[in-house]
Amino acid sequence: MADKLHATAPIGAEAISANGLRLALAPLAEAASLGAFAGSGRAELLACVRAEFGVDLPQTPKAVTTADGLVTFLWCGPSQWLALAPAEASGPSGASSGGQGLMARLRASCGAVCALSAQGDSRTALRLSGPGTRAVLSRLVPVDLHPRAFRAGDVALTLAGHIPVIVRHLDDQPEACELLVFRSFAASLFHDLHVAMTGHTS
Amino acid sequence: MRLTCPFCGSRGLEEFTYRGDALVRRPAADTSLQTDAQAWTDYVYLRDNPAGLHSELWYHGVGCRSWLVVTRDTRTHRVDDVRAASAVAAERSGGAA
Ligand SMILES: [Zn+2]
Repeated sequence: MADKLHATAPIGAEAISANGLRLALAPLAEAASLGAFAGSGRAELLACVRAEFGVDLPQTPKAVTTADGLVTFLWCGPSQWLALAPAEASGPSGASSGGQGLMARLRASCGAVCALSAQGDSRTALRLSGPGTRAVLSRLVPVDLHPRAFRAGDVALTLAGHIPVIVRHLDDQPEACELLVFRSFAASLFHDLHVAMTGHTS
Repeated sequence: MRLTCPFCGSRGLEEFTYRGDALVRRPAADTSLQTDAQAWTDYVYLRDNPAGLHSELWYHGVGCRSWLVVTRDTRTHRVDDVRAASAVAAERSGGAA
């Protein structure tokens, strides 16, 4: 029997801190994309997700998290969403039960009304936090990140420099953002963010 | 130049790709190349080049990946209208999106 390849981390770097900011991987246990089928698929998908997860899929660029904190749904375009199960999310039973079985849950509850694809190997999540997160991110991201325009739960699909990213504002107390990036760009984005954090160009 | 995506809001040009004249229509499938070559020539090669309002397709590839129909003044780059191509198509066919 052939040996399995070792899983490698998308970036080699440990979490870094600079100027009161912290940049770290925010590992995902599972991720999946949902694309509603044409016709009545969209309405049916909304109903299925509401029944299984107790939340309404966002209709605008926003994220919504289930009451138990285990799953977050991100708007990803009209009739498209990304479901994320963070690895560190702790379920009602405590420990890190978060995320396991997301794909199975989705398949059982809404597999008939949407195109469902595992994205765990596609996207990597980075978390930038600390005072000045918005200002640092503004050095790379061309959308308005001012608190009046970009609040907790808001999502933007855009560019960080030349790298396509999905930015999600998590919180203002303390300030924190999550960036979803294609795995092969993760190291490059990590580097760019590090440079932005230190305020230098390289 | 900036475009206001109906889904994502105001974004810079670097997020979009120009995809040509939005008014071009493919001839019906049974249009003969022998008897109606002009219809295919028009469709494949011939484009208006208006000095003024132009209806054009743009793709928001970095954002929501929607196709958009943009009405732009070619003399000034003033953008008068941006709509989802799906909505424009639904309106044209008289059906739902
Ligand atoms: Zn868009």
